[in-house]
Amino acid sequence: MGEKVIGRVLVLNSYRRVAVSSLGSFVFRFGQNRAATMNVLFKQIYFTGFEAIPIISWIAVILGLVIVTQSLSILPKVGGEGMIGEILVWVVIRELGPVFASVIVIARSGTAIAAELGSMRISREISALEVMGIDPMRYLIMPRVIGTAVSVFVLTFYFETVTILGGYLLAGFGKSVAFSVYISSVLESMGFIEVGVSLLKSVLFGLIIGTVCSVHGLKVEKSITRIPQETTNAVIGSLRLVFVMDAVITFMFFYI
Amino acid sequence: MGPALIELKGITCVSEDGGVIFEDAHLSLYGGERALIAGPPASGKGPLLRLIAGLERPIRGEVLLFGKDISGLEGRELNDLRKRMGFIFNDNILISNLKVVENAALPLIYHSRLTYQESMERALELLDLAGYRGDPWALPGPLPLYAKKEVCVARAISMEPDIVICESFTDGLTGPEKERLSTLLAGYQGGAPGRLLVLTAGDESEAVFFKADRIVRIEGRGFAGQAR
Repeated sequence: MGEKVIGRVLVLNSYRRVAVSSLGSFVFRFGQNRAATMNVLFKQIYFTGFEAIPIISWIAVILGLVIVTQSLSILPKVGGEGMIGEILVWVVIRELGPVFASVIVIARSGTAIAAELGSMRISREISALEVMGIDPMRYLIMPRVIGTAVSVFVLTFYFETVTILGGYLLAGFGKSVAFSVYISSVLESMGFIEVGVSLLKSVLFGLIIGTVCSVHGLKVEKSITRIPQETTNAVIGSLRLVFVMDAVITFMFFYI
Repeated sequence: MGPALIELKGITCVSEDGGVIFEDAHLSLYGGERALIAGPPASGKGPLLRLIAGLERPIRGEVLLFGKDISGLEGRELNDLRKRMGFIFNDNILISNLKVVENAALPLIYHSRLTYQESMERALELLDLAGYRGDPWALPGPLPLYAKKEVCVARAISMEPDIVICESFTDGLTGPEKERLSTLLAGYQGGAPGRLLVLTAGDESEAVFFKADRIVRIEGRGFAGQAR
């Protein structure tokens, strides 16, 4: 029991070190080795952000359809059509946007980051970088952590927009709530705190995913069989921390 | 001959299973020479190169690169010394998610003041010099062994390092292939004064390809045949 707790604390500490090192490297050493690191960063944003747009779009539209359908089946009965905006903001912007974007990124890119880094460890590519005088933390890890954070941030914004607009177009069009009423209801319900917290969550979740998946990828040492094991650990670790962080932020901003 | 570029002073190092690899071993390699380090499999050639690269630390003794003890060096200080060396590992390690030309250009992109475009142009020239005739925009995974060696050579000399170290470089190559790449590396070493070329090999017969002017044998837990 004690060993497990110590092990968990050590793992959390390794996440903290990598996250702090990546942020420090990005903020304070931005100009150093910029051509090389920016190249990796843009590739990460392309793979994690841009290439996730089709799947994010599908899920966002379907989720929007479900939420709007459910809302419009109940609200008119209680004369609460005007509340649809509040429901969407509570459900989509405060909670589901950042969480769904993160889960999709964990499934698509988190696994890829852990497996790729694990494979690079096994094939000694990371040692090859070190002997070239290239800092793997700066060249490999920082761009992945920052790239994932940027991607989750952008995907969250995109997911929320598509869910709200797509949901109405598919489920609400021609129903009892006019589009103008729908949109103004959403905009009125959307305060600075809702948008700010949603985007804060997305950045933090992105940092968590990039960090956790990188740490587990680097934990692969000699055996190739460790790659799937560490990839699984990366997914579990990312999901666990994302949901815990979601609960903590929601509690801090909307309960206290 | 120039000054000692690599010095191992009284080093003792052990393997992961606790076996002693080197014990109070001394070795000096000088600028301007082509040195072959020969030893049978598992004699310690790999650990020796890892010590020189600063990937491993001895439990006793000093490893000096360019006269500087690297035992206590970390991060940028160590990387500044490493970028003055070109390494070619025996398994021809290339970064799998980078194209061939990006692999050759990587040290330039990371360390030099050249722009990305200039680095790529220089890398294409180096690949040509190394004799690479394949697609420079291909990923390196499916390349044949010889082509991988050519890319590794281009990358190793891209920063015009003072030291080039090749681990079991000729393994798997045919006679003419050994001849061509060895001549290329020997030519690079002789292209400027004070450059050091270090090769490891299973036996001393490889020395002929590189026209090595010095052979060091790994014997017991140390080095023999160091006379210059």
